[in-house]
Amino acid sequence: MELPAGNQTVKILQDISFDVPAHQVLAIVGPSGSGKSTLLGLLAGLDRPTKGSIQIHETEISSLAEKEMAHFRRQYIGYVFQAFHLIPTLTALENVALPLELQGVAIGEQRAKTLLHSVGLEHRLHHYPIQLSGGEQQRVALARAFISQPPLLLADEPTGNLDSATGDRIIDLLWELHQQHGSTLVLVTHDASLATRAQRILTLRDGALVDETAPPQSLSHSQT
Amino acid sequence: MIHVYFKLAWRETSSSWSRFFFLFLCIALGVGAIVAVDLFATNVEEVILGDARALSGGDIELSWRRGISEKGQDVLDSLSARNLMISHVTELAAMAAVEPLGGKEPSTNTSSQLVELKALDSTYPLYGSVVVKPTQSMEHLLAPFPLGCHRLPCFGAVAQEALLIRLNLDVGRELRIGQANFIITAVLNKEPDKIATAFSLGPRVMIAREALAATQLVQTGSRIHERYRLKISDSTSLERWLGELRGRLGREGVQVRSFRDAQPRLRRFLDQLNLYLGLIGFTILLVGGIGVACTIQGFITQKTPIIATLKTLGADSPQVIGIYLTQSLVLGSIGSLIGGLLGMGLHQGLPLFLEGIIPETFPMHPTIVPIIRGIAVGMLATLAFSLWPLLAIRHVSPALVFRKDVDHTKFLVRGPSWITSLWSLIKDWWSDRMKVTVSVFMVGSVMGLAIWQAHSFSLGIFFSGAFVLAVLALLAGTTVLFWILRHVHFPQRFLLRHTVNNLQRPGNFTKAMTLAIGIGVMLMTTLTTVQQSLLDLIGNQIPSNAPSFFFIDIQPDQQPAFEKILEHHIPGAPYELVPVLRSRLTAINGQPIHPEEHKGKRNGWYFTREYVITTVHSLPKDNVLTQGQWWVDRTSPISKDPAKALSDLPSVSVEDKAAKNLGLTLGSTLTLDIQGVPFVVQVSSLRKVDWSSFSMNFFMIVEPGSLEGAPLTYIATARVPNTLEVPLQQAIVADLPNVTAINIGDVLDNIARIFRQLAMGIQALALLCLITGGVVVIAAISVNRYRRLHELAILKVLGGSRGLLLFSLGMEFGVIGGFAALIGLGLGCLLSVSILHVFFELTWTLDLPLLFTGLLLTILLTLLTGFLATYRLLGFPPLSVLRQE
Repeated sequence: MELPAGNQTVKILQDISFDVPAHQVLAIVGPSGSGKSTLLGLLAGLDRPTKGSIQIHETEISSLAEKEMAHFRRQYIGYVFQAFHLIPTLTALENVALPLELQGVAIGEQRAKTLLHSVGLEHRLHHYPIQLSGGEQQRVALARAFISQPPLLLADEPTGNLDSATGDRIIDLLWELHQQHGSTLVLVTHDASLATRAQRILTLRDGALVDETAPPQSLSHSQT
Repeated sequence: MIHVYFKLAWRETSSSWSRFFFLFLCIALGVGAIVAVDLFATNVEEVILGDARALSGGDIELSWRRGISEKGQDVLDSLSARNLMISHVTELAAMAAVEPLGGKEPSTNTSSQLVELKALDSTYPLYGSVVVKPTQSMEHLLAPFPLGCHRLPCFGAVAQEALLIRLNLDVGRELRIGQANFIITAVLNKEPDKIATAFSLGPRVMIAREALAATQLVQTGSRIHERYRLKISDSTSLERWLGELRGRLGREGVQVRSFRDAQPRLRRFLDQLNLYLGLIGFTILLVGGIGVACTIQGFITQKTPIIATLKTLGADSPQVIGIYLTQSLVLGSIGSLIGGLLGMGLHQGLPLFLEGIIPETFPMHPTIVPIIRGIAVGMLATLAFSLWPLLAIRHVSPALVFRKDVDHTKFLVRGPSWITSLWSLIKDWWSDRMKVTVSVFMVGSVMGLAIWQAHSFSLGIFFSGAFVLAVLALLAGTTVLFWILRHVHFPQRFLLRHTVNNLQRPGNFTKAMTLAIGIGVMLMTTLTTVQQSLLDLIGNQIPSNAPSFFFIDIQPDQQPAFEKILEHHIPGAPYELVPVLRSRLTAINGQPIHPEEHKGKRNGWYFTREYVITTVHSLPKDNVLTQGQWWVDRTSPISKDPAKALSDLPSVSVEDKAAKNLGLTLGSTLTLDIQGVPFVVQVSSLRKVDWSSFSMNFFMIVEPGSLEGAPLTYIATARVPNTLEVPLQQAIVADLPNVTAINIGDVLDNIARIFRQLAMGIQALALLCLITGGVVVIAAISVNRYRRLHELAILKVLGGSRGLLLFSLGMEFGVIGGFAALIGLGLGCLLSVSILHVFFELTWTLDLPLLFTGLLLTILLTLLTGFLATYRLLGFPPLSVLRQE
């Protein structure tokens, strides 16, 4: 993966290849600037690799057109951000229902209510993001990521903007939802203790994979 | 899915109303101007169509301006026997003189006045009603007054208040018109068959038909307008009647018109006025559209993180564009609604500029259709101007959610030269199917709306073409400015460098601001220059030796008496007296002319107009012979040149433009109808005439001796010193009451007054265009408010004083204003040169003080607007701004 920097290009990731079996929890760790978030972005189809291929559910996503990629993302991928990225003008309920509404699913609001109930925010349904605490915002973001019941959930430093107590509660909730929905979870973190809760850890340094545990069965294959 | 579009659109809008204030204003000003003009046009249509029969005077009107032929008279006589109600009205200009009250002279020094006389029969009006004060029947008001006057015959007359004011009279006072006296019995407030009063030679006076006969004003060759109005009992037979009457009277010089063509000249005038105003309104909307595009582009830039988030949630570009397009349309509809209300307000202000052209009682009520139409136009304009900036959404990468420095805008590769840069720009545009579609839609919308607004395909295309050219010229000009800023070495002073960089920075909307101001300046320059030239023509270009009075309807036997009066009252002053005949062209080279074929066509009036012909021995002084020769001595040997060969026909010299439009060459024959008698002449010369000399000039002059025995009258011109005008006029009225004296100064003053009044209205609307340009500037600055705020905070932290920062901002807005003004003034000059040349055949003169004032005012206004939009930013404490980072 290369990115432009002025008149030159910088290699962000290189020679990375791994598979993730279904339902596995995979943590990607590494120092700042090692390429963790870029790798997650590539898995979500938010960026395109300059070389190589990414297959999710036997679909080669790096060759999908923008519209096909958006469609694929709606059905297969949930994403949790460090900075929550809620839509400020929508309420908690509307934020959670948004992915389904974009798919034209009519029952989005009902399912959103159930999910917000399961993350303990049944009393905050009609609050706007600015009226919620950081932990509450991240719980809304978790509910939003799970509403389409995606087979693959990607979480980018989900506790990075939270204090440790709130962060722990969010991680517990993330694991609980992962178990309930049976999704594969790929987690980027610089928190070593959080990484140890994963079934497998990939360590990146300077854009290269330096440590890896092989999974028992394969869901996806990535080569960058 | 639609639900989520509206929800997001509404939430985004309602959470930041103030941010869209200027977008609302941009749309509202354009829609307001269009709605105001459209409402007025609808009122005009309603009045003219609603009262068409009253305005036309009947179901069918037969009118002519000269004596009717025997055949024509037979047709008219036959009509009375055919179950029709007929009203006969005669109109003419005449002099009204005040009869002294109890032997005393009137207090005012003006005791006579040119009036427009209207003689009515008892059936007038066939439709509608005359409004007079005190309210009484017209029959009673116009009846003979056997004992009321100083001398007989004496009748009642109804006069407009303007006459009473000018002559300092009251109801009950006595007037003399021609050989009859009249008691003013009532004030005329409304004539059912007349809307405009501004285009008349004098106030209206209504009298009975028998009173007209008593005045003895109608004599051979008198300038009168006869109108016969018919009321048909069976409305389904209207077309049949029209067909029959046109067939029987068309050749007799009679105009046959149905009520559907009521008030054709006024209608054409108001239609054209509405057209000009409507196109200015449309220009305002287009300038406002630039503001819409700036606001949407700035908004989309600010919303990039949300767009990226939506994309990570699975929304594709068309979906996100759909969301923000819905929002734009919601904003556009709100702006258009405000515009509808604004238009209703502006509409009520229009009568201020149309005083005298429309009556005070003209219904200025708003109607729903123009408002809905205006809102629809506003929405379409919003759509057209939003789509282009919304296309940028396609290039927003979802990766922005985790990496802010993603290059989400698509930059073009800058080539080694501007040609290759331009080529890569065109290639990029062409390869993007969406951009091509949106461009076609934008251009199509502007053209479609222009055609709709102009009610003409060709004018719509011309207007949109001119607009696109103006936009291209302004954009090219800004590109040149950027080139200069990049290549010219400026002193290395920080503030100057900062200003130069700011002007060129992407997202600064310098081009949009230049465009918005430049178009407003162009419009104002064009209108002001054209107006100045026309007023100059009316007021200032009259030669010092031009006559000041025209005298018409002098009978041949009155010629000596008339000359005696002139020599007595203005001894030694030059005057000119010529015999004239009124005629109509019926055939060219033996081919009959069908007036109906030429009606409504450009220069078709050359075929349908009445020609006043004269005969003189020598070439008039303001005439230059361009072809042929002046009267050939018929006793000399015939020239060998066939064009100069003499025939038995009398010769005629024709004005060169008339000859060109009528298709005449030397040797062509013309058949003129003089009171029903055909008079065939042959073209022997063509003349160029200087019409601006205000002397008597003629399209056709016939050979001396050829009009012997014809029913001639005389007209005269004289240059009368101001102090002698009133005594001369009084003497003429007293001794020759049928002779009408027209003061050229009064007529020109009246024309100039109406013109100024209209020009003020048009310029007020054009000023609104400049104001919209100012609003666009504020909108463009507001869009970048936070970026500018951040930058100013950093400069303050680094030691920049408020004064220095103010100077830097002033430099930036001054350069934009100055440059936009220069290009706008240049384009305005080009446009006014074309308009003056093509439509008025006038020469354009460079008015440097006007242009310089325009330049200074534009710079000043841009500085003021820029300052208004940014002065609050200078007051923010830098720390509070930077802490929010």
